[in-house]
Amino acid sequence: MFWKRIALLFAAWLFIALAKAQPSNDITVSISAIGGLQYDLVRFQVKPGAKVSIVFTNKDDMEHNLVITRPGSRLKVVNAALALGDEGQKKNFVPDLPEVLGSLPVLSPGDKRTLTFKAPAKTGVYPYVCTYPGHGAVMFGAMYVTDEVMPLLKDDPEIPPERRSGKKELRTGHDTHTAERSHSFREDPPYLYRIFLPDAGPAAIAVNLPHRLSYCWDAGACRLRYAWQGDFLDNTDIWKGHHDAYGKILGTVFFRDKTDLPLRVDQPGNIPTVKFKGYKLIERYPEFHYTINGIEVYELIKPKEDGTGLIRRFRIPQTKRMIWFVADPEDGVDYQSSAGIWRDVRLRLLPEEAREFTVTMTKK
Amino acid sequence: MMRGNLYGLFIAGLFLLLGCTAKKSEQIPERSYRVETIDMPEGLTAETGALEFLPDGRLIACFLRGEVMIYDPGTKKWHLFAEGLHDPLGMLVVSRSEILVMQRPELTRIKDTDGDGEADLYETVTDDFGITGNYHEFNYGPVKDKDGNLYIALNLASKGGGIRPEVRGRLDTLGRSVGKDMFSVVPYRGWIMQLTPDGRLLPYAMGFRSPNGLGFDAKGNLLVTDNQGDWEGTSKLYQVQEGNFYGQPASLIWKKDWNMGSPFDLSIETLDSMRTKAAVLFPHNIIANSPTQPLCDETKGKFGPFAGQLFVGEMNASRIVRVMLEEVDGALQGACIPFLDGEGLRKGNNRLAFAPDGSLWVGQATHGWAGDDGIQKIVFTGKPPNDIYSMKLTSKGFDLLFTRPLDDSSALNPDHYKFERYYYEYHSKYGSDRMEVTAVPVTEVSISEDRKKVSLTLGSLRAGYVYQLNMGDIRTVSGDSLDHHLICYTLKNLAPA
Repeated sequence: MFWKRIALLFAAWLFIALAKAQPSNDITVSISAIGGLQYDLVRFQVKPGAKVSIVFTNKDDMEHNLVITRPGSRLKVVNAALALGDEGQKKNFVPDLPEVLGSLPVLSPGDKRTLTFKAPAKTGVYPYVCTYPGHGAVMFGAMYVTDEVMPLLKDDPEIPPERRSGKKELRTGHDTHTAERSHSFREDPPYLYRIFLPDAGPAAIAVNLPHRLSYCWDAGACRLRYAWQGDFLDNTDIWKGHHDAYGKILGTVFFRDKTDLPLRVDQPGNIPTVKFKGYKLIERYPEFHYTINGIEVYELIKPKEDGTGLIRRFRIPQTKRMIWFVADPEDGVDYQSSAGIWRDVRLRLLPEEAREFTVTMTKK
Repeated sequence: MMRGNLYGLFIAGLFLLLGCTAKKSEQIPERSYRVETIDMPEGLTAETGALEFLPDGRLIACFLRGEVMIYDPGTKKWHLFAEGLHDPLGMLVVSRSEILVMQRPELTRIKDTDGDGEADLYETVTDDFGITGNYHEFNYGPVKDKDGNLYIALNLASKGGGIRPEVRGRLDTLGRSVGKDMFSVVPYRGWIMQLTPDGRLLPYAMGFRSPNGLGFDAKGNLLVTDNQGDWEGTSKLYQVQEGNFYGQPASLIWKKDWNMGSPFDLSIETLDSMRTKAAVLFPHNIIANSPTQPLCDETKGKFGPFAGQLFVGEMNASRIVRVMLEEVDGALQGACIPFLDGEGLRKGNNRLAFAPDGSLWVGQATHGWAGDDGIQKIVFTGKPPNDIYSMKLTSKGFDLLFTRPLDDSSALNPDHYKFERYYYEYHSKYGSDRMEVTAVPVTEVSISEDRKKVSLTLGSLRAGYVYQLNMGDIRTVSGDSLDHHLICYTLKNLAPA
């Protein structure tokens, strides 16, 4: 009895001592399927024989699985999964092959599952891949079973080429050459994009002007929302598709409209209802067409020749009403107009003055 | 062993020789359809959102970064017609200088008013629908019916994204579940809308999820595809009729006088009783995973023998699907069959258009999904296909009509017709397995005098199931095997006795 107890205590001590002497090799790895047919994590390292837990989350909006294969067997497993045909879905697109070491089943968007297994004793690079039909050629990563250091990311042939830059870039589906060019034509200002922009409604228009000026005009609210100086837009994120994104403003915003709508009818306090009718390109500058309380308005925005602000030309050809242009003293610009009378930051225009007038906004 | 190899070589050589001679003397093409790739302008990211032909025979295409470009098939030159559009995913040609384009914020009339070949006028045709800024709120269409009405489709928003601080349209979160369902929180997400000739945008039919494909059949019935996902056990083709609900609940909140609370709280039985079922189901991983535009073959034979039938693009595979419809008990139903697989065709087959010469042009797009970008065309080589022409329901089973006369002995062998029957679950969960997969025996086979029609009697016929037919080695009279062996018929209604 006594000796037994001693032996047990000794065993316990030995266990603790060993555990202390040799740090645990066990590892938990989180891998998510994300938009653009890719895993957020494209490689990780484990020691031979270590206990590995993969926590797999599907953050994409289509189905994905995760299959770990023997070294060099990724495409064989992918093709075998494709060949399952009718049977595929039932088998989670996991073929019965010795090359398959382990798998996480097809997960619906938002689902999460964990797979725990013992890493192979044999060192090597073990691919993991989504074998859902159509995904396997591009959606994969690598489990390095090794005591050595992994190769540099940029030189790693075991991961998708797009991911060797180290950025968790969403795949765009385009070859890398096109990243430098957005279109088949040169973009010389003025030109515009209908695109999602920050701090505006979802029906926004971004216009690039000469003199490194740009502005955001909101086709939902029918008003100029803000203007900036610098470069135009970085659309990289939004053009990847498949996730919520905005065009990124590349410059300094110098004007931000703080009214509900600058144009008013009869009384400066009345906010009109608006309707967006479209735009005409005049020497490539858009002239926006909209109505305020049913009255036709045309608005053309050009840069000031010295690049210090914007000139807004309004045409309200048919009104018999008093028109007001209302600004906010804190909106970042000084105002001048070609017609009407300013009262503070409110410009009053008689119907005949409103037929055509300009409002010049100069950066403070 | 050695002898066998030599013998094999000899046979192979003989075939090679025969092959060459045949080619030289008769010029019979090997295949019925050939795929050609169109050169795209340098620098263009050719994610094709829309594809049509102008009255003068030139191709006009929209790309998702906002360009509208025109291609002259004669000179093979591209030029820019319009730019700056937001995810244009549909187009209707009005004239050689005017088009309607469905983009995210509006349906827009785009015109070249000064005749310089570039558009200068962009007019809002309608923006009478909501947008939240969610990336999945794509808009599709327009297509025009014979009375001059236009139809557009509004995609639901995805739980993979959110909504923006500023939205357009009245926000109502009743159209959003606590689960993972796609949602509709501004009007009329998940609807097909009708734009009348006098410019009113009217809610037309509801219950759609990702209706990336509108078209008409030869009789003018409005058809819309929808994609597998929540409430869509597999992808579908719907016959769309006014006032109907087609299954995804979110859009119900915008139904006139809706007073039943969150549509997601209704029982499946209630929702199921409200919905109109699809005309054709595209079995997932068997026929299509992401069907796109249905296009009726109105080439009168220029594109082969399938005039009047529909071709449907598939995003997820290098495939075009063919659909044949018939009216049974007052509703359209029918079969789908692979039409073209591979043979140089890429993935991402998003938009289809017939050229005046009868070739089928295919616009491709990835946009973060599985696929390819670019434009290809499919040309009928003149060699008649060896294929099923149509599959029709009878009171006892199915009649299969073939494009060519069949060899009696192979066509009359009941073992060459393996039927499986199954259905897809209607539920919130993303997709469905094939349920109750059951083999259905063929009890009788007969062939018509011209050997083109095979009549099959089945052990049982039940409405509400897909009948998937896998055919064995059936040969034509000239000994050719069939181009396709798999066809799926959606038995919505039984044939009246």
